[in-house]
Amino acid sequence: MREHRVQQPKESAGRSPRQLAAIVFLAALVLAASMWAHRDSSSAVGPIQAEVVLPPASSSGDLSGFRSEAWLLPDDERLGFVEIPAGPFQMGSDPTLDGEAFDNERWMHTGGPAMVELGAYFIGRYPVTVAQFRAFVEETGHRVDPEALVGPLDHPVVMVTWPDAIAYARWLESTLRQWPDTPETLARHLDAGWTITLPTEAQWEKAARGDDGRIYPWGNEPRRDRANFQGPGTTPVGAFPCPECLYPVSDMSGNVWEWTRTPFLPGPYDRNASGEPDLNADALWVMRGGSFGDPPANVRAAIRGGADPGASRPFIGFRLVLTEP
Amino acid sequence: MPLAFTALLVLVSFVDRVQEHSVLVWSFWGSAAALLAWQGWIFVRMKDVLDGQAFAVVLRPQHYLQATLQIAVFVYWGWYWRPVYDYAWLLAAQFVFAYSFSILLAWARHRPYILGFGPFPIVLSTNLFLWFRDDWFYLQFLMIAIGFLGKEFVRWNREGRRVHIFNPSAFSLGLFSVILIAMNASDLTWGLEIATTLTLAPRIYMFLFLIGLIAMYSFSITLVAGSAAVVLFAWSWLYTTMIGVPFFVDSEIPTAVFLGLHLLVTDPSTSPRTPIGKTIFGILYGVGVIVLFWGLEVIGVPTFYDKLLAVPLLNLSVQWIDHLAHSIRSSSTWQRIKLDWTPATANLLHMSAWITFFALMTVTGRTDGRHTGDSVPFWQEACEEGRRNACDRLTQLQYAYCADNSGWACNELGRHLQEGRIVDHDPDLAMGYFARACELRFQPGCLNVLEPERRVTARPRPIDFRVLLREGGASLADFSEQELYERACEHGWEFACEAMVSRSP
Repeated sequence: MREHRVQQPKESAGRSPRQLAAIVFLAALVLAASMWAHRDSSSAVGPIQAEVVLPPASSSGDLSGFRSEAWLLPDDERLGFVEIPAGPFQMGSDPTLDGEAFDNERWMHTGGPAMVELGAYFIGRYPVTVAQFRAFVEETGHRVDPEALVGPLDHPVVMVTWPDAIAYARWLESTLRQWPDTPETLARHLDAGWTITLPTEAQWEKAARGDDGRIYPWGNEPRRDRANFQGPGTTPVGAFPCPECLYPVSDMSGNVWEWTRTPFLPGPYDRNASGEPDLNADALWVMRGGSFGDPPANVRAAIRGGADPGASRPFIGFRLVLTEP
Repeated sequence: MPLAFTALLVLVSFVDRVQEHSVLVWSFWGSAAALLAWQGWIFVRMKDVLDGQAFAVVLRPQHYLQATLQIAVFVYWGWYWRPVYDYAWLLAAQFVFAYSFSILLAWARHRPYILGFGPFPIVLSTNLFLWFRDDWFYLQFLMIAIGFLGKEFVRWNREGRRVHIFNPSAFSLGLFSVILIAMNASDLTWGLEIATTLTLAPRIYMFLFLIGLIAMYSFSITLVAGSAAVVLFAWSWLYTTMIGVPFFVDSEIPTAVFLGLHLLVTDPSTSPRTPIGKTIFGILYGVGVIVLFWGLEVIGVPTFYDKLLAVPLLNLSVQWIDHLAHSIRSSSTWQRIKLDWTPATANLLHMSAWITFFALMTVTGRTDGRHTGDSVPFWQEACEEGRRNACDRLTQLQYAYCADNSGWACNELGRHLQEGRIVDHDPDLAMGYFARACELRFQPGCLNVLEPERRVTARPRPIDFRVLLREGGASLADFSEQELYERACEHGWEFACEAMVSRSP
């Protein structure tokens, strides 16, 4: 390496403004061009507004029986909503009849079940499917764990948090309110102020076991031909027929645990409580029904679990109700 | 040699940190290709010009010493904020690019390249304030290139010499800041994170003060940095006294500004050289930061640009400042009070004054440690009292704490958005924040997801306090509940004080 005399470049005093302008222009041009080229790939700021890129849909899954023009809802006269008539039902477990009953299924003040009076409501025949949830995400851009969208389209959606489930319910209600082809029964109830949301745990349990206190939706004994439990994974919704069930709803036992809109309390109900959860305790919300991976004791109709509302798990899904607010 | 640097740039593109992102890889290869093409052009078109030219080796202390201080900042800051260390390969690539680019630029201008540590402070100083995200990293190379182009082409005659007008890194930072602001594209960069994570390093003001002393001793920049700091401290005190809330949210001087006034604005070749000129320059930097902070806040732009935009404007004012300094020096008043100190003695005296001033600020709690603006109850009360900007500051703090996973803060933001009193009513966004609060297991957030109109709230939980009380530092993960409640009480959370009383034996 040699040292040399440094030559001063030839410059004139009048060139700086032009050169400055040229550099500014160059930088602005490149920046603007970059942003234009990437205008669709930039991510939004903040934890709430991130954009959603849908993973490719699974090619598997039978979507016959679902209406493609109705956000993949079941193809029946009420888009899969089944009416549960008003009336009392026996909620919780009687340990003298059900040896598998856990403490938190027992009525707090009697140690057993109790009669609960409910008004009429409609509940989803199936849990919400991957296809239905994808339709929601495609339409709204709702941010969700991408794993929720990759399962077979006719399986129950999983990997959804409790707020995701509520968001889907709110969107479906709003959509059906505006859709001119909403079945008359649903439209009438929506017009009357009914709402689509998650079931309370009482609504869920009544739909699962009816009013005769049975342990499973089909009777008092576990049956592998009636529900998906102790298995390797989820199955298509409605894959297990249940002619013995009191109401025409599927997958109430097993397949996936289902979110409810009831805060978790130590017992199914506490008559002395205000119904309001402890605001200073960490949130837990009730899930019901057990999942594909559970033993028979955990897919009984009275089984209760409390889950972190932010949890997205491969064994938690949800179904909806149309109910009076 | 440029070819070797270009090859090194390509080589760095094969490290895992770069390979994990395709845009990064293409940024490296694209930059290398551009450098290669330029080398080819120089080789073909300018072979005769280059003949006999190569390098002149000049090692200037202001380059390697400043680079050492800047690296010290990266090392200390990165110890507490790991993305800095993750960024190391990308920083190294910029050094390689900068050397190759500056060599080619010198040769293209028909002169030998002055080989030394010159590119180091330019690259480091740029990266202490602005990084582009991986998706946009090629713009980082462009920013470095623009810094060198500005130094090479934007010149004027000053004191009989043809010199560059702008501090190279401040020029590119200022230019890119203006463009990013104009295009509302600040989220392409790590600017906000950089400005706010310096405080994760404990006693960062003291650290910056100490390394600043080295720069002050070596380059006589005390009057620039010190006068800027005095202006900012004085304004903060005055504003707080008059308005009742801090001007800079949670500090008397934001840490990034404190860093800037030591290591960005103080480039000796683009700032005045006389004591009076340096003092005016520093004062104007302080005033510039204040005005820009206020202006950026008013127009709804991230305020971290304040320290970046002021420097190029000041560089442009240097000749005017020189004239002003000359007039002051020539005045009869100045001649009467003039002290015949040698420059070295004067600098030591200026440093003594600065050390005394900083010590005073430190013992009065105006540097490291708790600041009034760290307290959420303070801002809640100030907001209720209608104090200037207090509600905006409250929501800014709550936004930051929500991003740090405080369910309480997310729920409060949702409540503000649902209520529409201190921020615009936005039920959709409110629902997003309620959902986030719920996912963080803050029960009122879940109830608000079900019925947003209720706007249910509750006290922060201990897990929230680990974020809400962190005072700009890291989450208080190792604090016991008792320690959390003690600190919460000091922050003005009354229920925490009551809880402590009820727990005491």
